[in-house]
Amino acid sequence: MAETAEAAAVGGADDTVEEAAPPARTTPKRAPAKTAASAAAPSTRAPRKRSTPAKPRQTTRTAMARTTTTQASEAAEAAQPAAPVDTRPTVLAIDGLHKRYGDTVAVDDATLDIKEGSFYGIVGPNGAGKTTTLSIVTGLLRPDAGRVVVHGVDVWAEPVRAKHIVGVLPDKLRLFDRLTGAQFLRYAGTLRGLSAKTVRARTADLAAAFGVEDALDRLVADYSAGMTKKIALAAAMIHSPRLLVLDEPFESVDPVSAANIIDILQRYTAAGGTVVVSSHGMDMIQRVCDSVAIIVRGKVLAAGTIDEVRGEQTLEERFVDLAGGRKAAEGMEWLHSFSD
Amino acid sequence: MGNAFRRSPWQVFGLVIGLLYGAVITVLVVGSLVAARVVSDVSATHSVIVVIGAVVIAGFALLPLLFGVDDTLDPREFSLFGIPNRTLATGLLLAGLIGIPSLVLIVCSAATLVTWSQNPGTVLLALVSAATVVLTCVVASRVTTAIAHSLLSTRRSREAGGVIGILLLVLVGPVVLLLLTVDWGRDGLGALGGAASWLQWTPLGAAWSAPGAAAQGDWGAALLQLLIALATLGLLWLAWVALVARVVSTPEREARSKAYHGLGWFDRLPGGPTAAIAARSMTYWGRDARYWVSIVLIPVIPVFVIVVLVLAGLPPHFVALVPLPLVCLFLGWSIHNDLAYDSTAIWLHLVSGTRGMADRAGRMFPPVVVGIPVLVIGSIATTIAFGDWAVLPSVAALSGAVLVIGLGLSSISSALFPYPATKPGDSAFTQPQTSGASAALVQSLSFFAILLLASPVLIFLVLGLTVNAFWLAIAPIAAVLIGFGTLFLGLWLGGRAFDRRGPELMAFANRND
Repeated sequence: MAETAEAAAVGGADDTVEEAAPPARTTPKRAPAKTAASAAAPSTRAPRKRSTPAKPRQTTRTAMARTTTTQASEAAEAAQPAAPVDTRPTVLAIDGLHKRYGDTVAVDDATLDIKEGSFYGIVGPNGAGKTTTLSIVTGLLRPDAGRVVVHGVDVWAEPVRAKHIVGVLPDKLRLFDRLTGAQFLRYAGTLRGLSAKTVRARTADLAAAFGVEDALDRLVADYSAGMTKKIALAAAMIHSPRLLVLDEPFESVDPVSAANIIDILQRYTAAGGTVVVSSHGMDMIQRVCDSVAIIVRGKVLAAGTIDEVRGEQTLEERFVDLAGGRKAAEGMEWLHSFSD
Repeated sequence: MGNAFRRSPWQVFGLVIGLLYGAVITVLVVGSLVAARVVSDVSATHSVIVVIGAVVIAGFALLPLLFGVDDTLDPREFSLFGIPNRTLATGLLLAGLIGIPSLVLIVCSAATLVTWSQNPGTVLLALVSAATVVLTCVVASRVTTAIAHSLLSTRRSREAGGVIGILLLVLVGPVVLLLLTVDWGRDGLGALGGAASWLQWTPLGAAWSAPGAAAQGDWGAALLQLLIALATLGLLWLAWVALVARVVSTPEREARSKAYHGLGWFDRLPGGPTAAIAARSMTYWGRDARYWVSIVLIPVIPVFVIVVLVLAGLPPHFVALVPLPLVCLFLGWSIHNDLAYDSTAIWLHLVSGTRGMADRAGRMFPPVVVGIPVLVIGSIATTIAFGDWAVLPSVAALSGAVLVIGLGLSSISSALFPYPATKPGDSAFTQPQTSGASAALVQSLSFFAILLLASPVLIFLVLGLTVNAFWLAIAPIAAVLIGFGTLFLGLWLGGRAFDRRGPELMAFANRND
């Protein structure tokens, strides 16, 4: 880490001068995030608290920021020459990703550029390749071609370093469910290299934040679907990753918990973290995310800020247009004459 | 049953074997029932039929309770079709008549018509009894299946039930041996007659006994027994209809979950990822029924081997040397497919960048924890049974080597050649449908590789016992060299394989989930 930081500092000296002041970068983001949070769910926590978790990051971020700036500026030049320049560094760069299963193309030349501090939604119809893409990003699936760079680290060249930066919530994979909730968090934390003491403190915090305190001593196997999602989400965050990759995080989670989770995630992005979520709940994405990519049949059909992507329409209308429009609901007249 | 043919070749193979097995049993039973017609000793035939028949009815009734069969005819499955309860109950019963065990039963009980063809009266009685027997068996098995389904619907009770089932099966072994030692020629019939005399008045034996009693001229007893049998059937039928009505209209039973306090093994094993994986493995060995099965079976297998060897006429003196290395062999081999047991939960290891070495080493912890006391106590016990303290070091060395070699090779095979295992939460008895040939190949290869690598130590031990005591001193040295060599090489290779094959392991888990 130190070597690359130095190398980057030497190589991209010009950029670092402009980019080295993190507070300047984070402040403009904070305002919209805050309003989005209050729109999404009435936040019960005082806004003042938000600075507390952010503090310890600041020191490391100054160093870390340097590593990314070179890539970020390169990527920015290459990807969006005309668009309003987003000066935030790229945290997740997906470049020309291909994946096929036999004759089926699951991901077809997917390219995404996700900036630090964004709340990024990936939407698409069922089987569009969302989960495949996210699995490649998190190192669970080997791509046929393409590159994934997380905060300057190539996921497939230096997997261990890259994985340390990312927190993952996969969809439809099992958990080690014969552990109690507390054991599961301890397990996830320890595998991420945290000390027992740190895990204990964070477990308490996470349990309170997700409302699973009562369930910590029960087996995950006995949890409801929503609870399981929450404990897995807690495990994804326990090592305070820079990037959270969440596949369908709100599925089967009750609205109150979902609002709570969104609140947590928005404070996390406000502090400089980056969230990538996949979902087919357009409403949720439009309300919560600041940027969005629409993936249909493995292709990225649109990507950018929510407003850029949806234009005059709602996100859902735009999505249905891109995904091939509504099927004319003809036929099936028998459904309208009831059998009794 | 026709549908059963429309599946994978292996299942068809299993079904064909089952059909053949059923056919052979049917032929044997029908043959002996027909032959019994010409035997003059009617009361002996009567006793035999009553006892065996009672066992059959008990089998139909109890087996579903033990194994919690995966019930495709569960009334609950039909609840959304809105079929009237009585129709549904009858339909499900008729469906229950189709199947290998039921077919065998129908043919065999029909054969009792021949056995009791003394006069028209007994034939008529035999016909009614045979029909009663078949219906009783089918209704009883449906009723207990439904009960098992609701009792065993919670995860914990299902797992406990499965393990109790195994223990019972294991206990049946000695009982069979004991039965074999009875001198049947002399007092067998007496014992059977004694059992039959009271079984014929129970619901289990009554239906089987009625025509026999009539054939012996005791019509009063026969009619009374038929009454008992019909009453039993009637009660079972009422219970079945009531159960169907209940099951269709009630939701599946909710699991009550148990609270655990503290972090268990995670607190006992402080440290990094390796310790955490060790703690997780320990917890799983304690909580997951799939591991219980191997833990229960490991001490049982050597017992059977000893019995076989002693019966084969080997001196007990030498047989005493066998069980310990055998237990260690199975213990080391027990984790050769450990990774597949995690199923897709393995993603956590992959996304957290867990080092392969940590994963491999952590998984070895439970067999090591079990193995060390087994080694120490086992070596001393073996030496005492053998009667010569000179063999202690080499016995311990051989067993230790087998264990450690097994762990090393398991570490490689579970990362390189995982094969489908029973999924988490499934009954420990269900085998994955896709296991097929690769499983058998990996199992036998990994098993014999352990034997092959341990063979030098074994040869030195045998030489020491038969040729020269000098070899007894060489055995431990060879054991340490080969054992730890394999262990560390296995850890390293297995770790490397895990590091490189992460996505492939994930794909394997996804394929088989």
